[in-house]
Amino acid sequence: MTILSINNVSKRFNAGSSNETVALQNINLTIESDEFVSIIGPSGCGKSTLLRVIGDLIAPSEGKVSIHGKSAAQSRLDQDYGMVFQAPVLLEWRRILPNVVLPMELAGIPKPEREKTARNLLAQVGLKGFERHYPWQLSGGMQQRVAIARALAIRPKLLLMDEPFGALDEMTRERMNLQLHDIWRESDTTVLFVTHSISEAVFLSTKIIVMSARPGQILEVIDIDLPRQRDDSTREDVRFFEQERAVREWLRRAESGG
Amino acid sequence: MGREESWITRWLPPIILFFGGIFLWEAAVRGFQIEQFLLPAPSVIAGTFVENFERLVSIGWFTTKEALGGFVIGCTAGIVVAFATSRWTTASETLMPFAIAANSVPIIAFAPIVNNWFGVDNPLSKMVIVAIIVFFPMMINTVRGLTLVDAAQLELMRSYAAAPSEILFKLRLPNALPYMFNAFKIAASLSMIGAVVSEYFGGNRSALGIFITQEAAQFRFANAWAGIIIACIVGLAFYTVVVLVERLAIPWHSSVRGNNPGG
Ligand SMILES: Nc1ncnc2c1ncn2[C@@H]1O[C@H](COP(=O)(O)OP(=O)(O)O)[C@@H](O)[C@H]1O
Ligand SMILES: [Mg+2]
Repeated sequence: MTILSINNVSKRFNAGSSNETVALQNINLTIESDEFVSIIGPSGCGKSTLLRVIGDLIAPSEGKVSIHGKSAAQSRLDQDYGMVFQAPVLLEWRRILPNVVLPMELAGIPKPEREKTARNLLAQVGLKGFERHYPWQLSGGMQQRVAIARALAIRPKLLLMDEPFGALDEMTRERMNLQLHDIWRESDTTVLFVTHSISEAVFLSTKIIVMSARPGQILEVIDIDLPRQRDDSTREDVRFFEQERAVREWLRRAESGG
Repeated sequence: MGREESWITRWLPPIILFFGGIFLWEAAVRGFQIEQFLLPAPSVIAGTFVENFERLVSIGWFTTKEALGGFVIGCTAGIVVAFATSRWTTASETLMPFAIAANSVPIIAFAPIVNNWFGVDNPLSKMVIVAIIVFFPMMINTVRGLTLVDAAQLELMRSYAAAPSEILFKLRLPNALPYMFNAFKIAASLSMIGAVVSEYFGGNRSALGIFITQEAAQFRFANAWAGIIIACIVGLAFYTVVVLVERLAIPWHSSVRGNNPGG
């Protein structure tokens, strides 16, 4: 079943002025539910912009986005998606539990239920015992896990993630990749994941979209041929290396301008 | 980490400075035989203090009430105006330059005029001066706190379809609290200054500013100094109360928690 379809989406910033930027040009894309799709591409190619357009945080200059057959605006109002940004974006005056509770509060879920859900989610991302801490008392990686728990709180059909592990060290990132993969497999959430790490993209995805810059376009869509369940042994799989090489090749083309 | 040790290292230097300063003052007045009307010795002022304790407390309280009244009126008005205008960006953007300009005007210069409006003996005339003085920093800081919100946090709220009122109460208001406490601290200091100085332009006989001017005019300088010290103590106490409330109200903020993560 198609969860996300993007039809001819373009986005121009400062249209008409001398510093007009074509961030996205004629993007067409459909994503089936239960997929884990990564977007990879040189920096400035419009990955964040695409995610923002999908989330109805900015309007496209042309084209249409529909989530589950609804407009992007309606999906946002219905809280169909959860978003994880590059920075954790926690509310510093809220302790960890209330931070995770926030989206459920805005959705009008009763207090006992939302606190129970938040506790379970925190345990799921390995943060049991930190409910009453303030964000500043947690490391960057822990804060990002809080952000992931928060995004999962409303059981989104679609999870939009913009380089969520970009600021983490390699070891932490690999651990987070495993956790995210487990979360994805255990839930019925479709993930759209922006990254600039090739190995992260191959490890997590069922499909990788390679974008090129100026103007931001989709260069290639690569289906990842690996077992649905990934674990530490995945990184040893010979197919893992082959697909890493293929993605790297496409990325090189994207960087040299298609 | 020894908590007591850090308490001592933190407070010992200011305590030594305080008593050292008093000692030097006393020694200088005696050593150089400084005249009473120039600078009385701390021991003489302390003597006056003990002698006139009840009177000093009663006039101190009179002026403290004016300062408190003005603080409450001015801060409330500043907050109300800030909330009202920050709902309409154009309103607050139009008002802000005027507020910032007004904030750098010596409002105390209007004291004789305000004394005239409300009656020189009426404590309300002093409250109004104090209220006008504290209104501007309160309003300016509150508007800043309500509007200088992290763009990413706004985007987060939008992604969860938060209503404008939810954005106000769950994002803008908590974001404004540290700014507002800064303004409360400024207002606490200004309100005692405003009350005493506006009394210098005339007022009730039982007011601190009147007491200080009259005692000085009649060469009772130790009394005048005792009055000044009352004003200092009340001002400091007022500020301290605001700081303590701030600690309780925004324990999460860096100004309160210090900068030692992991604590
Ligand atoms: N709000 C904006 N105003 C103007 N230009 C923007 C804005 N946001 C992004 N851009 C431009 O759009 C292009 C794509 O940006 P972005 O989507 O952030 O890239 P990526 O996330 O792939 O690094 C860049 O050239 C960037 O400068
Ligand atoms: Mg980006």
